[in-house]
Amino acid sequence: MKKIYTCIICPRSCELEADILPDGQVSVSGNGCPRGAEWIRNELSDPKRTIASSVLVEGGEKEIVSVRLSSPVPLRMIFPIMDEIRKVSVTAPVSIGDIIIRDVLSSGADVIATSSVLAKKE
Amino acid sequence: MENRGIVVIGAGPTGLAAAVKLRRLGAEDVLVIERENETGGILRQCIHDGFGLERFGKSISGPEYAALLKSEAEELDIECLTGTSVLEISKDRTITAASPSGVVEIHAEAIIAAAGCRERSRGSIMIPGERPAGVYTAGTAQAYMNLYNRMPGRNAVILGSGDIGLIMARRLTLEGAKVSAVFELQDHPNGLERNIVQCLDDYSIPLYLSHTVTEIHGKDRIEGVTVSAVDGNLKPIEGTEKYYPCDTLILSVGLIPDNTILENAGVEIDPVTNGAVVDEHLMTSVPGIFSAGNMLHVHDLADFASAEAEAAAENAFLYASGKLDTGRNLSVVPGEGVSHTVPGRITGHGPFTVSLRVRKKERGKTVEVRQGGKILGYRFFPLVIPSQMISVDAEAAAGCENVEVIVR
Amino acid sequence: MHYRFDIVIIGGGVVGSSIARELSRTTASVAVLERNPDVVDETSGRNSAVVHGGFAYDRGSLKAKLCVEGNRMMGALSEELGFPFVRCGKVLVGNTDEDLRTLENTIKQGYDNGASGLSLIDSAKLHELVPAVIGSFAMFSENSGILDPFLYTIHIAENAHENGVEYFLSHEVSSIAKKDGRHFISAGDDTFEADWVVNAAGLGAKAISDMLGIEGYKVIGSKGNYLVLDKTLGPLLPMPVYPVPSNTYMGIHVTPTVDGNVTVGPDAINTDDFSYYGVPADKMEYLRESASSLWPHINKKDVIRTFSGILPKWVDDNGKIQDFRIEIRDDIDSMAVNLIGIESPGLTAAVPIGRMVFSMITKRGQFRMKTDWNGHHEKPFRFSDADDKTLVCSCENVTEEEIVRAIHNPLGVHTLSGIKYRTRAMMGRCQSGFCHMKIEHLIERECGIRAEDVRYMRPGSWVLAGKMRECNGK
Repeated sequence: MKKIYTCIICPRSCELEADILPDGQVSVSGNGCPRGAEWIRNELSDPKRTIASSVLVEGGEKEIVSVRLSSPVPLRMIFPIMDEIRKVSVTAPVSIGDIIIRDVLSSGADVIATSSVLAKKE
Repeated sequence: MENRGIVVIGAGPTGLAAAVKLRRLGAEDVLVIERENETGGILRQCIHDGFGLERFGKSISGPEYAALLKSEAEELDIECLTGTSVLEISKDRTITAASPSGVVEIHAEAIIAAAGCRERSRGSIMIPGERPAGVYTAGTAQAYMNLYNRMPGRNAVILGSGDIGLIMARRLTLEGAKVSAVFELQDHPNGLERNIVQCLDDYSIPLYLSHTVTEIHGKDRIEGVTVSAVDGNLKPIEGTEKYYPCDTLILSVGLIPDNTILENAGVEIDPVTNGAVVDEHLMTSVPGIFSAGNMLHVHDLADFASAEAEAAAENAFLYASGKLDTGRNLSVVPGEGVSHTVPGRITGHGPFTVSLRVRKKERGKTVEVRQGGKILGYRFFPLVIPSQMISVDAEAAAGCENVEVIVR
Repeated sequence: MHYRFDIVIIGGGVVGSSIARELSRTTASVAVLERNPDVVDETSGRNSAVVHGGFAYDRGSLKAKLCVEGNRMMGALSEELGFPFVRCGKVLVGNTDEDLRTLENTIKQGYDNGASGLSLIDSAKLHELVPAVIGSFAMFSENSGILDPFLYTIHIAENAHENGVEYFLSHEVSSIAKKDGRHFISAGDDTFEADWVVNAAGLGAKAISDMLGIEGYKVIGSKGNYLVLDKTLGPLLPMPVYPVPSNTYMGIHVTPTVDGNVTVGPDAINTDDFSYYGVPADKMEYLRESASSLWPHINKKDVIRTFSGILPKWVDDNGKIQDFRIEIRDDIDSMAVNLIGIESPGLTAAVPIGRMVFSMITKRGQFRMKTDWNGHHEKPFRFSDADDKTLVCSCENVTEEEIVRAIHNPLGVHTLSGIKYRTRAMMGRCQSGFCHMKIEHLIERECGIRAEDVRYMRPGSWVLAGKMRECNGK
């Protein structure tokens, strides 16, 4: 089915028309350069995303710490990764950059803390 | 009353960047005033990535961006008063603020107002119907989830396709809430294309353009909304009403620069943006009071707000050193196809850069800065869209005719 | 549980609470049953907040008499009870000969009712008083004023409570039985046995009247919608401005509030749904357009909110609005005081109504007066009183200490709207965008309530679905 996409590679923002053919190939038109065609082909075959979420903190001044993936992962892994994120908790103190889950679900991406949470004062 | 050097109001991406720049320029006494108990501004709750590509060369989250600025500020020994809200600024730059130790008065040699913006509320867009609990602006819902660890609801409808609304569509979905649809009043989406794809398409959340919520239902907690299609004048079309059950309505219907404290100082405010009318030095109509970031006009990226902050810092530093060229002689007027410009005035003494937003999406257009028949600057854009702020450099304007910015 | 009281008052709004406060001067045991979680959730918290002069009511009516009394005492009352009141005056603006005749008659009626400070003023004087108004002449009522209806009602209730009245919030009366000369009232999960019953239930009064056996009253709801404008408009409106009502034109008022906002409204539409407070689109537009011909500063960009209120009007079979009815029907129940149709000027007249009911009851029995009754209520703790002035609500300058004190109010109201009415937090131009979560957090912390149990106003108004991440890593 033909669909219009706005390419995000450069400010030209070309409007691409892309069509997934029966044999799995993608036909692209409207791209101003080869990078656009490559981008939409990747998008349609194996889109990758990063997400941000929160992890429960034990013994911290705050209840949660913000986290994100250190690199993009296939879109289809997002919900399974969210399940992993919901399962874990981390004990304060937490610092920015701390790895909360290393190589989550063998995706190659870590779940890293993006803010700090100090331990609750006694 | 305390006499201080340059005071920056707001410790978000704009305020912190301004303070850091001021110190790097050699300003000795720089004070930042922040109403929250922590610095970082709105970045604290923007946990998604996409920040920092311009400023730091990497895509990081809001809190990480804020942390980088904060450590720069700490290295430069910048004093920051947190838990301190500016109540009033006088024309002679005396700041009255509410702080943990009571009311404080600070006189500043120059002020950079970088206190950000607020969200347009349900009340102010006058959505008819009942006023139950469960109607949240996107930023409030975002703060609840990302800062307070609380779920605003489980079954949401979103009005407005601005970035915050799109981000929240994804955030809610990832936390197990249902997001039935996003409705957008205009005939084009408001947010970045990237967010349409990654927040809506990825999760099969439909986006209905040219639609709006025409009634809210529910006595105590919202139970549903009536949605109508709108015509070319954005008026609801009779007969198109549809009911969408929900327990939460998220509103992403506009950000308004929050200039109350500047209004009281007699600063001229642009009725279109609700931000101050500044000249090419980002100075308002009150000498020595500068404005930048979302408090001046709403930016698309925190990086650009930080960049604007640095320009304000340069000029505030010059002003405090007695070296700034002032004189707001000429107006810069948004013309054909342009919805607003910053600056709104220029001294006419030197080259300047105009930041602007266009009224509608168009391809292959040139934005011109003209004075009468003369073109002071122009730039070609393969694509212009209202949701993307653009800029055009222009040479000094001679004479006394106003300057106009148009899309051709 | 089964409770026993000498007097039970049904309805905890400004009228019911005022009656309670007066009766608390005696040593009788008094209870107030209020169906909502707070005392300002219905008509007492949804009105124009005007202290009326007393000229708008028929000669000899209770409305006139009690309004004039209430107006006279309002200054002293606001000092005693610590609520904001400003005797700013009011103008009724006219343009035609018919308007002039109406105003002349209104002034006569006012003086006959015992009102004072009424005069006809010309355009020059009118524009001296309210420069921004459009009009040729006016009646100036210099003793009219505005008050904070929330603090007024809450302070009356808290003072009644302080003097021994027991408040039962969230107790809607479902039935009243009579046995051995006593009333048995079912409300919520409890029964209340009482000698005296006072029906001050406002919008619920007809239903209570029926339960008491006093049937046949026809009460309609008059729903009024309002726009609320940003405080930047306050300086343009030093006093309420009303158009002269004529047969053809009701006229929409513009009224400043004690905090500097402006309300536009109300309109008046009959309704028999006493629980629907939604404001429709066409009414919003009508209010704006209609009032703009009188005061041309009503712009969409300055509207921060809309709200509505419903007034209970007692009408006859022809739909003609009647006077206040404050009665004891000896033929049906000689120990019940029945108040029907307490609409405007009920707010102004609340304390005189309380005193009238006090007299009606106390002269029929042996009542002893307390020696330690104290009718004084402190002014609310405000920004200027706090040491730590870190703001929770920056639109309205409300500190954390104010919020915490308000949370621990004597009546035990723990809703977000309860905090709103006691502190003004959430009423500003950002409409709680920046402070909603902070206040909710404080309620959780101070009251030990779970997130999912916090309420905005009534029991069904849950605010949050719960925690996003629970302990034990759910």
